[in-house]
Amino acid sequence: MTQPAETVQVRGLASRTAVVEADHAGRAAARGIFETLWGLLTSMRFSLFVILAMAVLGLVGTLVIQVPASIESDAAAKADWLAGVRPRFGGWTDVLDRLQLFAVFGSIWFRGLTAFLTISLIACMIQRAPGLWRTATKPRVTVSDGFFAHARERDAIVVRGEAADLTGRIAGVLRKHHYRVLVEEALAVNLYGDRFRWAPFGSLIGHLSIVVILAGVIVGSLFGFRDNSFMIAEGSTLSVPTGEGLSIALISFEDAYYTDSGAPSDFASELVLVKAGREIFRHTARVNDPLRYGDLSVYQSFYGPAAFMSVADTDGRVLYSDGVPLAWVTKDDGRRVGMFTIPSKDIVAWVVGTWGGGDPLVKPGQMRVETYRASTGDPIEQLTIDQGVATAVSGLRFTFGREIQYTGLSVSRDPGTILVWIGSLLLIAGFAVGFTFPRRRIWGRLVMRPDGVGTLSVASPGYTTHFADRAFTDLVTDLRAACVVATAS
Amino acid sequence: MEKMSSYSFVAAIIAVSMAFVLYLALTLSGLRALRMRTAGTVGGTRTLGLVIGPRTATLGRYGSILGWLGFAFLTAWLAFRTIATGHGPFANMYEFSVAFAWGILGAYYWFERCYNQRILGLLVLPLALGMLIHAATIPATIEPLVPALQNNLLLTVHVAVAIVAYGSFSIAFGAALLFLIQPTGGRWGLPKPNVLDEIAYKAVVIGFPFLAATLVLGAIWADVAWGSYWSWDPKETASLVTWLIYAAYLHARAVRGWAGRRAATLLLIGFAATLFTYFGNYFFGGLHSYAGLG
Ligand code: HEM
Repeated sequence: MTQPAETVQVRGLASRTAVVEADHAGRAAARGIFETLWGLLTSMRFSLFVILAMAVLGLVGTLVIQVPASIESDAAAKADWLAGVRPRFGGWTDVLDRLQLFAVFGSIWFRGLTAFLTISLIACMIQRAPGLWRTATKPRVTVSDGFFAHARERDAIVVRGEAADLTGRIAGVLRKHHYRVLVEEALAVNLYGDRFRWAPFGSLIGHLSIVVILAGVIVGSLFGFRDNSFMIAEGSTLSVPTGEGLSIALISFEDAYYTDSGAPSDFASELVLVKAGREIFRHTARVNDPLRYGDLSVYQSFYGPAAFMSVADTDGRVLYSDGVPLAWVTKDDGRRVGMFTIPSKDIVAWVVGTWGGGDPLVKPGQMRVETYRASTGDPIEQLTIDQGVATAVSGLRFTFGREIQYTGLSVSRDPGTILVWIGSLLLIAGFAVGFTFPRRRIWGRLVMRPDGVGTLSVASPGYTTHFADRAFTDLVTDLRAACVVATAS
Repeated sequence: MEKMSSYSFVAAIIAVSMAFVLYLALTLSGLRALRMRTAGTVGGTRTLGLVIGPRTATLGRYGSILGWLGFAFLTAWLAFRTIATGHGPFANMYEFSVAFAWGILGAYYWFERCYNQRILGLLVLPLALGMLIHAATIPATIEPLVPALQNNLLLTVHVAVAIVAYGSFSIAFGAALLFLIQPTGGRWGLPKPNVLDEIAYKAVVIGFPFLAATLVLGAIWADVAWGSYWSWDPKETASLVTWLIYAAYLHARAVRGWAGRRAATLLLIGFAATLFTYFGNYFFGGLHSYAGLG
């Protein structure tokens, strides 16, 4: 923050060729569109704005209520949802919707910024990697006079003695301070020392691992699938979408509560994975303990009551016999409802549960059955039936067997997750290494006059930390001491 | 154990309050020394860096000892509470607030040892004290965990790592505030701007990877518990926003025109985002909501 303006700014990744920065200024004059774009993509100033813009969008996403994805994809549900938030946002509702701010993280803004940031990250690192590599392997040992005159940290020591001897002593001091030392002799003796020359690659890896994480997210959304409302009643089996012939059976569901507070303590679904009619895997899925089989994951998500229903035709042939999850709640009266179809009869049946004791329409121990023509949606008949009693509804015999439970699972396969984890690990490790071992570089020039008196100039671009400043002072003190000893001898 | 932890909690509040009073006295004494110096009397070398004169030094020493004591009591609280609950005591707002105070004190004394700028303590101790008082208003009963939180290892590590990040950011906040209230070049005997810049930078350099780790551990936990490593839940989004602001700060330090005051302003915004994320439990709802209010 306090460097003088003329100082060559060298820090971490930015310090490709520390000392030749001045050459670049001249080149900026004639630029094609490509160069302008490249300049933008690799500009730290611009990336600062992009990162801040991302932060602002994220903030909008936390402050403005977001449409659940399942509603977003369904136009009618979306309209309902918008009507629901209209009282809160008034005339702004449509503006916010038009600007996609109710779905910020799928919006064109967010996608655009992310895409730009990804390209920018790649561009930046492509631009910086060769310089970093060169600096690490073949650093410039001889630098301009200007650098010794203007570097953020610099000092000059008057020395007396013989050049070769002094050079040896100086190199010795630098090595004692854990620097690697390179020497070039021309008219003067040029020295270069550095520490942690590979550490800036940590920061480079940190940046690139953001790209790896984003790649993982994209792989997941392209090649993975997810069903967040995979509902099975106890005793039923349901096939997994795109699951290569896999299906999941729910043996039983248990929910437990803390006796004192009534808060839930455990939900557990005993699941069996079935392939070609054979059990291949069994696991009790809990929150925090999903079923994992290959790259398929099955999570405990929600649960509720179900009705065991069976339907037979007048000849007594069973057309349907299964648990029906009462997974929805009616808007107007809050009754739990579920549905199933009888394809051979073109019938959709809705099953409506009771509220409890005071319900005039459906008493405990009863279910209401409402049948509709599947092809047209026309209602056929509505009747409340008693448990265990086969009752004629629209020409079929419906039986409400008993009340059971269903479990709501989240079934997913995400081949991108592994990339996300690898990227995350590299991100933390990369930046941590870059921060913990800040690269340090120092140049020295020893100029001797024929009378045996000379000057050692030392300069360093300066570092981001206090301790490093102290390190420079300590280093100079040691150098001075070493050269004084030389004088005495 | 629960009893022992409440005793430690109360002891910590008392120690930190007394430490704060001493830091206040210390600052006043430093200010007086500053006035005397500008009036021509020989003062010390650093005024509000606060190593000056025997009296100020004594006040400083006792202030630090009390602060350390507060930190030690909170450490005891952590230990007792961990034993009592069987997991890191980070499962509700009470526990999390006390842990936050612990993080702030820990980070502060780390930096006080390295840099000896006690005036920072005047800004940072009230933050810790505020967290403790906030905790004192929340019932401290140990509730059994709802299913989603029943992962002792991840719960403990995820929040412990967050605490380190939050503690560091509060130091960066204090340093940035001191940086911004002085005109360029420094004034009023406050710590020099470049020292404050270094303190803030060092704090962010610790906090930034730790916040990244918090986000990643949260993602791992979400993947284990809900089957999705990221779901744009408001709390996780707010954490990501916070992280981005600190990333912007790290870039700003290397951009001409942004290094200095603008970078320091980003630190204030970053800390506001940190607090927003932290108190988010009160108004976000979402997956983290039941981690909060019992
Ligand atoms: C969300 C995206 C980004 C994050 C989280 C991020 C994070 C960081 C962090 C933490 C540092 C400090 C590292 C250190 O000093 O060792 C840093 C430095 C740097 N970043 Fe980024 N960055 C991002 C995007 C970019 C982009 C798009 C560019 C390209 C323009 C870029 C260029 C740089 C450069 C050149 C440095 C070195 C600064 C210096 O030497 O002081 N970053 N970044």
